[in-house]
Amino acid sequence: MYKSLFSLVILVPLLGACGASVPPPTQRLADAQSATRSARELGANSEPAAQLSLKLADEQISQAQKAINDGDNKRAESLLVRAKADAELAVAQSRERGAKIAGQVAVDNSAAQENTNYNQGAEK
Amino acid sequence: MKTTRSIVLSIAATGLVGFAACGTTFPPQDLVNARTAFARANSGPTPKTDPADLHSAKEQLDLAEASYAKDGDTQYTRDQSYLAVRKTELAEVVGRTRQTDKEKNGVVNAMHADEKQAVASTSAELGRTRTQLANQNVAYVAQGTALKDEKSRRQDAEKRAAQASADLAKFATVKQDPRGMVITLSGSILFESAKWDLLPSAQLKLNDVANALIKEDPLSKMVVEGYTDSQGGVSYNQDLSQHRAQAVRDYLVTRGIAGDRITAQGFGLTHSIADNKSPEGRANNRRVEIVVQATDPSLSLR
Repeated sequence: MYKSLFSLVILVPLLGACGASVPPPTQRLADAQSATRSARELGANSEPAAQLSLKLADEQISQAQKAINDGDNKRAESLLVRAKADAELAVAQSRERGAKIAGQVAVDNSAAQENTNYNQGAEK
Repeated sequence: MKTTRSIVLSIAATGLVGFAACGTTFPPQDLVNARTAFARANSGPTPKTDPADLHSAKEQLDLAEASYAKDGDTQYTRDQSYLAVRKTELAEVVGRTRQTDKEKNGVVNAMHADEKQAVASTSAELGRTRTQLANQNVAYVAQGTALKDEKSRRQDAEKRAAQASADLAKFATVKQDPRGMVITLSGSILFESAKWDLLPSAQLKLNDVANALIKEDPLSKMVVEGYTDSQGGVSYNQDLSQHRAQAVRDYLVTRGIAGDRITAQGFGLTHSIADNKSPEGRANNRRVEIVVQATDPSLSLR
């Protein structure tokens, strides 16, 4: 009993320093989840780089949720900050994929148009 | 037993934290990654393509560096470094996306310009074709008019020719032979024997001939040919036929046939058309023929 009291004396200040006084990072959790939603909507899972970033974000969000449940809010906050950054990167990577596709479509259309013009008598 | 482990763990944890706080000489991997990522992005195209996001990444890296300098390898330092890596990557991705968009717009604009050019050249082509068609149409109309003119000219000529031959048929024989239309006038109705002065009655007949000839194709040439029978010498007859042909020719000129259209030629006793042994045959051989040479074989009289 004495021994456990002793450990409590040591651990409590440590816990306090680590996050007992930190409130659950609900806003950060919402931000990170919102960012992953955006990435998914933009087709992050169709682009390998974006898919990886999104996966990292998802994993860290679930780790953060676990940490919140365990009362380790500080660790949760750290994970969520990272998760949000990953999700935002995933969003940008998905947009890059969209731009590449649009660019390819433009090149294809241009070639098709050129061909059409040629068939209609324009010079190549 | 459980509490003992807790103590050991908590001491170990305290030791670790203390160790970190004192500062190792090695920066955390996250910070190393952040420095590397930023250096890479900063030396690439990103400073031009997305300077704003790259600037945010730099600020984030500075935060991480400051945290590391102040507190060493803390969780905060690691988090800030991680954010710096991600922000740097974000700047690179956004920069590339913009570049792709720009290239796409270039392609699209070029395509639109091509399209415009194609439309312009097609419509110019169309304009040229229209003009050509219009010109062709004008040409067709003109050709049609010319054809019509030609047709009516032919019809006039045929009509005139038919009228002329009908008129002549009353007192002369008119026939078609390879030389053209041949009007044969009997020598006895034109001249006295051995003379080449036209009889007064002959003049009346020749007036009709002249009128008929005037109605003929105005471009045709005419030859007045004189012939005799075989009585008398060759040179005498030649001379006589020449004078008689000339007399008829000259008279026709006075009746309005253009002098340059009509010539005279004597053939003497040659080219007889009947037997010179009988009086009837000789009478037939004494003759004047007016040969109208058709300008166009298709316009010859029947």
